[in-house]
Amino acid sequence: MNYSEDNTSNQWDEDYDMDYELIGPCFHQKNTSVELVVGPYVHSIICILGFVGNGLVIVTYAFYKRTKSMTDVYLLNVAVADLLFVASLPLIVYNELSSWSMGPVACKLLRGSYSVNLYGGMLLLACISADRYVAIVQARRSFGRRSLPYSRLICTAVWSAALLLSVPTFCFYNWYEPSHSREAFMYGEEETNRTSGPPHYVCEFQFADNATAWRTKVAVPSTQLAVGFFLPLLVMVVCYSAVVATLLRAKSFQRHKAVRVVLAVVVVFVVCHLPYNLTLLYETADMFQLRTCEESDILQTAKTVTQTVAYLHCCLNPVLYAFVGVKFRNHFKRIVLDLCCLGKKYIAPRRFSRVTSEIYVSTRRSVDGSSENGSSFTM
Amino acid sequence: MASIKATVAVLTLLSACLLITNASGHHGCCRSYMTARIPFLKIKGYSVQTITETCHIHAIIFHTKKGKACMNPALNWVMQYIHRLGNKAQMVHNKTSKTQQ
Repeated sequence: MNYSEDNTSNQWDEDYDMDYELIGPCFHQKNTSVELVVGPYVHSIICILGFVGNGLVIVTYAFYKRTKSMTDVYLLNVAVADLLFVASLPLIVYNELSSWSMGPVACKLLRGSYSVNLYGGMLLLACISADRYVAIVQARRSFGRRSLPYSRLICTAVWSAALLLSVPTFCFYNWYEPSHSREAFMYGEEETNRTSGPPHYVCEFQFADNATAWRTKVAVPSTQLAVGFFLPLLVMVVCYSAVVATLLRAKSFQRHKAVRVVLAVVVVFVVCHLPYNLTLLYETADMFQLRTCEESDILQTAKTVTQTVAYLHCCLNPVLYAFVGVKFRNHFKRIVLDLCCLGKKYIAPRRFSRVTSEIYVSTRRSVDGSSENGSSFTM
Repeated sequence: MASIKATVAVLTLLSACLLITNASGHHGCCRSYMTARIPFLKIKGYSVQTITETCHIHAIIFHTKKGKACMNPALNWVMQYIHRLGNKAQMVHNKTSKTQQ
């Protein structure tokens, strides 16, 4: 086309009626409305449950149970990963809803720690299944392979791997205003190069060139799918099926309970993570394909919902792994009993003054001290 | 005790989320292209969407009075529109710089 056509096309412009249908950028109304409910409400429930469950596991290990076995080390590490994740969750939700008002440092740290905890948690679950396999199926050959230093080494390796796998996330996630909504080249009446409205920041991928963008946008979710889901799933399925086979052959009293626990662990893992990872797989597989806003909205909504289901897993881990153990429950009962004593002590200090527990005595002193100073502490 | 304090803190933070949600507006991405041709005079400006940021397809977004329109940058006429917009801007620039001298 050359500029001699200009006159004719201008003529066409003026005659043309505005009856064309615009296809604009997608705004995902359905997903936004789901996010407004899921974001604050469902996530706060997950957050509270996760805090309480994993907090109790960590407290039990910290005060009442010395980490003796390899399994203890793993369980403690899983609880730490889940707790860190649950701690970052409200901050991520808050930032997603407030156009990342906490700025560039929070963006990198939150996205990075999310990734580290995801990989750490998933790989540790795989380690637990491998540990149980060694303990039950390879029981005779397990000496030395299940020692404490060995398990610490493995945990260090897992966390290092999680950090290493999160390097692209640390590098390429940035805090910025998307240029296509920031820069507009406008002509005519309003000669402005900025679109109206307050700046809307995002914390998303940003690349220097198209080739890197192309590769990394596929590589990061693919790695997450492979190492953060399919690898642990494979390890769990292989190890636990061998464990179940061995348990069923054994004539143990509690074998049925053990089998049920193993099945619960695997089923909950699959139910929580499979829907999200399938959605992620679908999204990654044709990420650069054209699709209508409707389709895009449905995919985003599916991702939001299934991701929330996946988050739920970190609240269930304490129950599935720690609290099913009889020993762990006994230690936990001691905590509850001690806390009860402490509570009674706070509520009615004089009535229970003859109970002689170490904690009791020490708190008694501190309470008395504070009441002498403050003089208002009388209940 | 610590977990109760933490729970309260989380609840407070999340209720703060609710208050701020109204402020959130979304930047949208083009996910497909318009096939119809827009009359040149209706276009007030344009912006460029590339895959180097949050969006997954390249696109030229024409700003019209009716709203934004996603265009395929591979189409020749789309790029010619952008050249014409550039020429128009150059003309405006020439005129204003002459009058100011």
